[in-house]
Amino acid sequence: MDRAFRLRRNGVALGLISLVGVLAAWVLFSGVSHRAALSADSQSHFRRPTGSAQLVSVEPLPEMNGEMCEWTPASASASLAAAFSQERMAAARSAMPADAGTSIVLDRPPVRSIRDPNPSFSAIAVEPKTNMLVVTDENLFQVLEYDRLDNTPPKAKMTEPKRVVGGTLTKAEMMCGVYIDPVTLDTYIVNNDTQDWLSIFSKNARGNVAPDRVLAVPHGTFGIAVDEARQELYLTVQHNNEVIVYRKMAEGRESPLRELLGNATGLEDPHGVALDAKDDLLFVTNHGSVSYRGEESSRGRRSFQKGSGKLNPPSITVYPRDANGNVAPLRTISGPKTGLNWPMQIAVDEERGELYVANDMDHSIVVFKTTDQGDVAPTRIIKGPKTNVKNPTGVALDLKNKELWVANMGNHAATVFPLAANGNVPPLRTIRGGPSDELSLMIGNPGAVGYDSKRDQILVPN
Amino acid sequence: MPKRLIAGQATKLSRTMHDIRYDAVNDELLVTNPFAQAIMVFAGDVNGNQPPKRIIQGPQTQMSGSDRLEVDTVHNEIIVPNGDAILVFPRDANGDVAPLRTIKGSNTLLRQATSVVVDPVNNVLIVGLNSGESSQAQAPREPNGAILIFNRTDDGNVKPRAVIKGPKSGITRINQMAVYPPRKLVIAAQPGPIEQMEPEGAYVGIWSIDDNGDVPPRWKINAGPKSEMKKPRGVVLNPKNKELIIADMRLNAVLTYYFPEIF
Repeated sequence: MDRAFRLRRNGVALGLISLVGVLAAWVLFSGVSHRAALSADSQSHFRRPTGSAQLVSVEPLPEMNGEMCEWTPASASASLAAAFSQERMAAARSAMPADAGTSIVLDRPPVRSIRDPNPSFSAIAVEPKTNMLVVTDENLFQVLEYDRLDNTPPKAKMTEPKRVVGGTLTKAEMMCGVYIDPVTLDTYIVNNDTQDWLSIFSKNARGNVAPDRVLAVPHGTFGIAVDEARQELYLTVQHNNEVIVYRKMAEGRESPLRELLGNATGLEDPHGVALDAKDDLLFVTNHGSVSYRGEESSRGRRSFQKGSGKLNPPSITVYPRDANGNVAPLRTISGPKTGLNWPMQIAVDEERGELYVANDMDHSIVVFKTTDQGDVAPTRIIKGPKTNVKNPTGVALDLKNKELWVANMGNHAATVFPLAANGNVPPLRTIRGGPSDELSLMIGNPGAVGYDSKRDQILVPN
Repeated sequence: MPKRLIAGQATKLSRTMHDIRYDAVNDELLVTNPFAQAIMVFAGDVNGNQPPKRIIQGPQTQMSGSDRLEVDTVHNEIIVPNGDAILVFPRDANGDVAPLRTIKGSNTLLRQATSVVVDPVNNVLIVGLNSGESSQAQAPREPNGAILIFNRTDDGNVKPRAVIKGPKSGITRINQMAVYPPRKLVIAAQPGPIEQMEPEGAYVGIWSIDDNGDVPPRWKINAGPKSEMKKPRGVVLNPKNKELIIADMRLNAVLTYYFPEIF
């Protein structure tokens, strides 16, 4: 039985082999494959060892239907295509979560972080009768009070502040301007970009506390000046190119008293603001980036005409103190001789007739006459390694003690000079919030991040 | 300390910058100046107070608050979200140049378009919408942030091919985004409500570019004690090291996460 089965199976196998052989012979000798053409083609493509790689075959890719990858143009580098190819292979090792109805939570600590642990002094105010010195910290989001006479020893890490206000209840975050009420000692804190409030704290405020008073202000306020005689408060607004004026005691959603804004004003990314009550003048520093409003929206906020943007030189513009609406400046200080380079906060000494400007990217304080106009050189420049002035953004005058205070974002330090200082002179005193050998990282409100793959560098816009 | 500092009057930059992109093919940096309605293009090795190589600016550009941007190095284009429109310029544009294409109109669902990213391999353009909130909001509003996905070459009043939004998505508003074309992924910074300094529900989410509707991200890193993140606004990838890099506004910090799952 078994033997008969094996013989029958072998017979079937032999039959199949014979059939394959017959078919092969038919293919070879029947001319179906055009033997002559095949032979010629074979001869023409006959390959001999060359010691290098040779083209063996070419297979066209399927047609693109728009959903698949398109050919990469010659402008794209081969390395980019290779990178994509490599990454495709790597991707196969990790599966995509199939269920789009749930998330896989991958909370984990960062492997690296770049963060400045020290305060970054952005604005400064002084009240000489009580020796009260307040600086705002735009890195850790704090308001710090020091004694005016504090002086951090060179080897000390920092000076402990007398008072700190900061936290999520304060409505104070990107703090770029500060004012001390000389009577109540209330502190006015200006926010830029993230919290559209002017926050006012009493002398007793401490820690994470709500402000004693808040005023809703336009987005992008920066500088502050107060006219105590008239009880008026002036704020610059970067995003609107304007100076907005409120009652000093305004609160809530109170409307402004007046607004200096419009195409004729010359306000171009305004930052610092200062008043000269003696001569009834208003001074504003401008970085020069500007867009213009159409006629129908001359008073509208942020209603700029598309494509109207310009990049003008930095300037100091001068107006009547009560300028209202679309008022052109009385005078403009601007030009290469001025040395202005991202001019920030500004202060006026009415008696000396001088303007003090924190000149951020020049690492200097430049002093002009209040009567200056056009392309004029500063009368004095405080600058140099002895000064320890590094990315100054805030200035304040103590006219009682004849001192000039500087908030330096670049080195965690507030430095004070004689009012008449000039050149590369050391400060009288320094109050540091961090070690003297550590510069500030100056990361401020990072809205994005980039990666330079060529240099393996992280790029942070501020 | 920073390796380089690009700042100062000659750079034509504003001190308010909300985006930066590195073009690895052409070794260039691209930054916006929203106040001057301009795009600045710098040499990749720029350092200090140096001027840009090219500036896109002028009436023909139709740019308004050019806050963020994207560069497509494969198809040589710069893409700019422009409120209710997306503008596409030649990558090498210089001066007052009209857009090559404009996505705009009622079908597009574009409003408060604040960020954009392109996947040049899978041919999609992904747009992040802001919520339109104010930090002065008196009461919480229904979140209306979203991710819109268009075909890369869309032009005119076209419908997005996909819209990711809704309560399951957890999107309040979208800030910077990044893509990983090999796996068809979009990574988005979701910083939460603007008025909250340390918002609940902030996260970095990763969706498939094929997702549509009210869908949660495939992966997410939540803000919180474990991740140390508080208010993420920027994201970028370093595929070589399988890393996700975050810019955190509340921390004023850059955090780098090892994230092999998405590569």
